[in-house]
Amino acid sequence: MDNYRFKYIFKKRIQILFGFLILLLFIPLLKIFYLQVIQFDRFTALSKNNSIKIIPISPKRGVIYDRNNVILADNKLVHSLEIGHSFFSDLSEIRARLKNKLGIDIDIDIDITNKKISYLYENTVPISFNLTNQEIASFVAHQYLFPKLSIKQRFIRDYPQGKSSAHLIGFINRINDNDINFLEKENLTNQYLGSTHIGKSGTEKFYENLIHGTPGFKEIEVDAKQNVIRTLQEKRPVPGKAINLTIDYRLQKIAEKAFGKKKGALVAIDPKNSEVLAYVSQPTFNPGLFTNGISHKAWSGLNEKHSRAMLDRVVTGLYPPGSTLKPFVALAALTNDIRKPPFSIFDRGYYKMPRSSKVFRDWKRGGHGNVDIIQAIAVSCDTFFYGLGLELGIPKLNEVLDDFGFGKKTEIDINGEKSGLIANKAWKKKKFNESWYAGETAITAIGQGFTLVTPLQLANATAKLANPSLSIKPHLLLSIDGIKQDKQEGKEKKQSYSDKNLRWIKEGMVNVTNEGGTAAFLGKKSNYQMASKTGTAQLFGLKIDEKYNEDTLPDNLKDHALFITYAPAINPEIVIAVIVENGGHGGSVAGPIAKEVLDAYLKNKKL
Amino acid sequence: MIKIFQRLKKRVDVPLLAITFSIISLGLITLSGSNLDSSNIIINQVVNIFIGLIIFTFLVFTNPRILFVYAPVLFLLALFLLTLVHFFGVESNGAKRWLAFGVINLQPSELMKITLPLMIAWLYQQYQNKISLGLHFTAIFIISIPVYLVLLQPDLGTSIMIALSGFLIIFLAGISWRLIISSIFITILSSPLIWVNLHAYQKNRIINMLDPFVDPLGAGYHTIQSMIAIGSGGGFGKGWGEGSQTNLNFLPEAYTDFIFAVYSEEFGFFGVVIIFVLFLLLIYRIFILASSMQSTFSRLLTVSLGVSIFSAIFVNIAMVSGLVPIVGLPLPFMSYGGTSMVVSLASIGIIMSLNNHKTLIAN
Repeated sequence: MDNYRFKYIFKKRIQILFGFLILLLFIPLLKIFYLQVIQFDRFTALSKNNSIKIIPISPKRGVIYDRNNVILADNKLVHSLEIGHSFFSDLSEIRARLKNKLGIDIDIDIDITNKKISYLYENTVPISFNLTNQEIASFVAHQYLFPKLSIKQRFIRDYPQGKSSAHLIGFINRINDNDINFLEKENLTNQYLGSTHIGKSGTEKFYENLIHGTPGFKEIEVDAKQNVIRTLQEKRPVPGKAINLTIDYRLQKIAEKAFGKKKGALVAIDPKNSEVLAYVSQPTFNPGLFTNGISHKAWSGLNEKHSRAMLDRVVTGLYPPGSTLKPFVALAALTNDIRKPPFSIFDRGYYKMPRSSKVFRDWKRGGHGNVDIIQAIAVSCDTFFYGLGLELGIPKLNEVLDDFGFGKKTEIDINGEKSGLIANKAWKKKKFNESWYAGETAITAIGQGFTLVTPLQLANATAKLANPSLSIKPHLLLSIDGIKQDKQEGKEKKQSYSDKNLRWIKEGMVNVTNEGGTAAFLGKKSNYQMASKTGTAQLFGLKIDEKYNEDTLPDNLKDHALFITYAPAINPEIVIAVIVENGGHGGSVAGPIAKEVLDAYLKNKKL
Repeated sequence: MIKIFQRLKKRVDVPLLAITFSIISLGLITLSGSNLDSSNIIINQVVNIFIGLIIFTFLVFTNPRILFVYAPVLFLLALFLLTLVHFFGVESNGAKRWLAFGVINLQPSELMKITLPLMIAWLYQQYQNKISLGLHFTAIFIISIPVYLVLLQPDLGTSIMIALSGFLIIFLAGISWRLIISSIFITILSSPLIWVNLHAYQKNRIINMLDPFVDPLGAGYHTIQSMIAIGSGGGFGKGWGEGSQTNLNFLPEAYTDFIFAVYSEEFGFFGVVIIFVLFLLLIYRIFILASSMQSTFSRLLTVSLGVSIFSAIFVNIAMVSGLVPIVGLPLPFMSYGGTSMVVSLASIGIIMSLNNHKTLIAN
């Protein structure tokens, strides 16, 4: 082959080769086009995902005050021991080592490995808030042993009043599975980025959405080793709103002190506007115990069968109203033109049912003699009310009780309220598949039988008695960030009881603390007039010839003592309902507690 | 000194040199965008370029006839060293690729990449008047010896590169299309057999290439980070020195093997098109020079050098953009590092020298 021909072939081949190389280069060019132009958004996101991290900053929880700005729940700055986000699975090992090496005991059960919850967390999660200064010093000195842990400063919830008012204030605890499910359902998870705790009971729970606040964010740039290069932007968290409750903490404290070791509940309401002035449930607990997860021992102590400290008796305690129901029963009768004064009966100490041999006894052996409806309230004459009940009948009675809010929730701003029970024929048939006996009507009229009320219902009903035009439902929220809140109207229709009937009821209730009344001793010491009713709810059915002996009866079968009152009788300022569990007689046990609160509240008022 | 420049000016091909410097400049610009001790990187790279230019200048003035005369000797020497690897090679990762001479480590397969094209070009120059099927088969036989030896090491990638550099010259020498097509056909048919005989790590590399997101933190990490860097560059890039993938160290080997990803991240698709045009112009100019040369040896060697530069560019970009598995291969003229820069500039120097001595090799 000569050089010319060789060169000719070479030139042809080199053109083919160049064409081939161009085509070849198009492969990466197309790939790069695909990456940079078509998939640009995806890779931009991936690139940002690499280098930009968003760290949530949890908001400070709103402070809870009473009506006079006494702090009920606050935040305090503490040193918290924190574990890095990526080391959750090592927690149990780290916990054991902390105990071995430094003697630091982290006695909590927190499920921080739970994927659903842990995505809320920032880069570290607190595992203990309550290290002593010594423990912190010891940890810091040995930090090199625990590279996965760190000490941070955090705000945690603080309850400066200790055990006082725990049911009212409530508590917060770690966000758990149920909470996260709820937050997801309500589409609120974004509000909880960076948060570890949530309100679990009381006001802390009901007003969680107000108190919690809105988290902020810190957008940071990190390098491949997760070192922070710079902060790109920062949005400060919006702290939760501060709220004032209608509660007067001073009354709260006085009531708790008056209760002493007794169990029960006290509710005080301003009858002019249904503001709850006191909300006491005894015994109580320390809400601060829950902030860091409660130990099993403390938890079982709180749920001990006889004391049931965790139980909020104000809205979930169900009690037979006993004689405190009588003013309402009496009003029902008068409204239906039954037993209006001057009608009276002669009480021999028992009531014999017509056309029956069944006999119901009065609480007073020998009876009260001649009593009209006013007197019957003042001396709490059972005999009068047995007959009244039978004359009135359950439907008409229940109509009035319903008017006063019995048997249904008051819709107070606390979770878990119970509706109590106003029994009737249909209910009994459904529940026990039994028909209604006339005798049951008779005992219902004295507040025994099936009827169950919460202390709040009792106070609410008494407030309606004190101020018949009251249509606002009982509530605890006074103001948000200092701005007064509108009162919410209750569902009940406005009452239309005649003034005359109401005056008779009031007269009866005023006479309770007058000479001859069931709580006459309270009136003697009083410089204002009060309208009250005592009640003693039997938990233990006495046989006809059996004598109630407080000393031989086990504590948990002793009668509940009840007392409702409002004062002053004219233009009432405050309504109180008190229940002392297994306290015995209402007037002598529950009455003095109510009186102390009344005295304290009315002392500063110009009457 | 001025004299040298004047003489150099006559002997260099200005368009080729201009293209080369444009590419080198883009590399330097990319390097200087680094926020990590960039001054050191820049100074070192400028020194590398300077050394490369000295060798370039030396080669421009050197008579390429030496290459022709010593081609068989150089090839045989490389072949000898390659055989030595088989017996005395340093073993690492289950492969014998290196010879250790005291402190110097030598990889004879790399030498073979240069000396084999030299040898085949010599063969066709020597027997250019007697080109026949027999000569082609002789060339194929010569190629198969080093290819087989490198396969034994084992080093699949390098042996493919050596084979291609040899076959390229046979192709340019005018082997018939019928032979080319039938051999491609045979290769495709035997590919399942090749797969079966691949080592596990080679299979892994190929699987990873097909889907790097299968193992995002392991073998696929480099590829993914590189693709993220390129993809997030978009049409016009994040701007010079603004590549977050690079500056925050998500992109490994950012300034050596992966400099193209840095460039793409900061200058976008627009920048990519510019560099592609420059690379094509470089190869085009080399081919133009080759076709104007008089001797067969010069032409074949020039194209061979051009294609070897091209394949390094192609493999590097294909690797960085996630088309082929990660192999430690720098981007000619752009990657930070002395060896790559010196070898690339030397190749250009040899091409210019061949261009100057068009008639120096007797036909």
